[in-house]
Amino acid sequence: MRKTVSYVLVTAGALVMLVPFVAALSNSLKSFAQYIQVPPTWIPDPIQWDNYVEVWRRTPFGLYLVNSLVIAILAVIGNVLTSAMVGHALARMRLPGRQALLTMALGTMMLPTVITIVPNFLLFRSLGWLDTLLPLIAPYWLATPIGIFLMRQTFLGIPKDFEEAAGLDGANPWQVFWRIHLPLAKPALATLAVFTFTTSWKAVLEPTIYLTSPENYTLPVGVLSLKGQFVGNDQLVTAAAMMSLLPMLVVFILAQRYFVRGTMSAGIKG
Amino acid sequence: MAADRRPSARKRNAGERAWAVAFASPYLLHLVALAAWPLLASLYFSMTDYDLVSSPKFVGFDNFARMFSDGLFWRTLGNTAYFAVLFVPTQTALALGLAIALNQRLRGMALFRAAYFVPVVSSWVVVAYVADAVFNPQTGLANQVLDFFGLPAANWLQDPALVIPTLAGVAVWKGVGYMMVLFLAGLQAIPEERYEAAKIDGASAWNRFRYITMPGISGTTFLVLVLTSIETLQSFEQVFVMTDGGPHGASELTVLHLYRQGFQFFQMGYASAIAWVLFVLVLALTMVQFRLQRRWVHYA
Repeated sequence: MRKTVSYVLVTAGALVMLVPFVAALSNSLKSFAQYIQVPPTWIPDPIQWDNYVEVWRRTPFGLYLVNSLVIAILAVIGNVLTSAMVGHALARMRLPGRQALLTMALGTMMLPTVITIVPNFLLFRSLGWLDTLLPLIAPYWLATPIGIFLMRQTFLGIPKDFEEAAGLDGANPWQVFWRIHLPLAKPALATLAVFTFTTSWKAVLEPTIYLTSPENYTLPVGVLSLKGQFVGNDQLVTAAAMMSLLPMLVVFILAQRYFVRGTMSAGIKG
Repeated sequence: MAADRRPSARKRNAGERAWAVAFASPYLLHLVALAAWPLLASLYFSMTDYDLVSSPKFVGFDNFARMFSDGLFWRTLGNTAYFAVLFVPTQTALALGLAIALNQRLRGMALFRAAYFVPVVSSWVVVAYVADAVFNPQTGLANQVLDFFGLPAANWLQDPALVIPTLAGVAVWKGVGYMMVLFLAGLQAIPEERYEAAKIDGASAWNRFRYITMPGISGTTFLVLVLTSIETLQSFEQVFVMTDGGPHGASELTVLHLYRQGFQFFQMGYASAIAWVLFVLVLALTMVQFRLQRRWVHYA
């Protein structure tokens, strides 16, 4: 009985989640005449697969995609590597002022992004980084509080014997970190990787502020800019938006368990 | 012998410390460049007139005085508060309800969870087009449904009175999956024995919910409330993408106002002042919530 109620509830909820996507997908396959037709048709007739080809032909979608991918991949590598290093220092090394640093990491986690918008813009401007991809990548190479907490927690859970055995062989701390601790932390690294990828992929505010040339746009900013250019061709912009979700969906489907784990262990966005 | 060993031990310790500092260096740089600098710089710029071209001119508290007489600023604060009041409790309650429904061995559970997560991983730009398929007054699903039940059509995002509730609804739809997973983690941390013992004692389903589940997840609920309110006060991307503050400023939120001042009108000083006021509001809200938690949060 309770299970039936749950099923009905959860299925209804899942439909509410997915039907709008299906409706948008349907919009993306319509001709413009059908796109604005009242009352709307649910199944486009004919189904215009060409809309997707048109997006590639008439917009720099490929460039946006490459920019988004470059940023996301470099952000993932940077955040995973540096957060693991800092987490390792906090969990396993004789770091002076360890407790203070941990407290400060908690403090920066609560630091609202709104306070950083203007100063970071000025910082990247003085570095000559405006209208490059660097402001969207570099911050991830300075470790993120959430990554530090996740990695610290993971490294704390690895038994001491491993490193003692390695220490006897005269390994230096980097080798202990790289060869022994890092491979043991793979699930946490994967969790942090998908988390970083998602954050970077979804970002709208930062690319809007830092990027001005269309050839540097990421997918969200690029698709948004199409809105103004393709008045009377909204079905194409919808198709572009749908396509911009695709790489994210692939990552999500392949790494679903890490998304759930990431949410549960960290419980904090950003 | 002992005298020989000590210097080398000290040297080794110094070496270990140097390694540790090297490992931690990315975050030390982070603290300087991405925490201390923005905090101090925005405080300084909030007391200047700065248009990015000529150098910043110190003006004391002028920007703050201007903010207090800036009707639009107050309106955006009101809009933000209205959005938060609709959004935060609705999302929290729905996420909790879904988590309770999903917190059992259901076939296809992973699939359901995935469905709720798709909006979470979508950017606001994607969601804008998905929402248009639903809330477009002429061609959207929502008015079709209203029509089916014989109800009059609504203008949703184009109606000044409906725009914030519609935005809050879309935000709940987008974020509820994430919060649900947080609640699921909280629910799964409650020991099963408590429920079994209560059942043996003949406690009703409601009483088990009231006296076991609710105290058991109060910590998670607190976390969810703090996170969502902090986030909501800073909400920008959704309105930037979906309404651009319209119609007629009805959905102009404070961070959108800040963005315009800074990056459209190049008044970095005024934008920084708005940022600081928001920062203080976020801090105050967080502190109030931490204070209140003592009354209702049980950590078992």
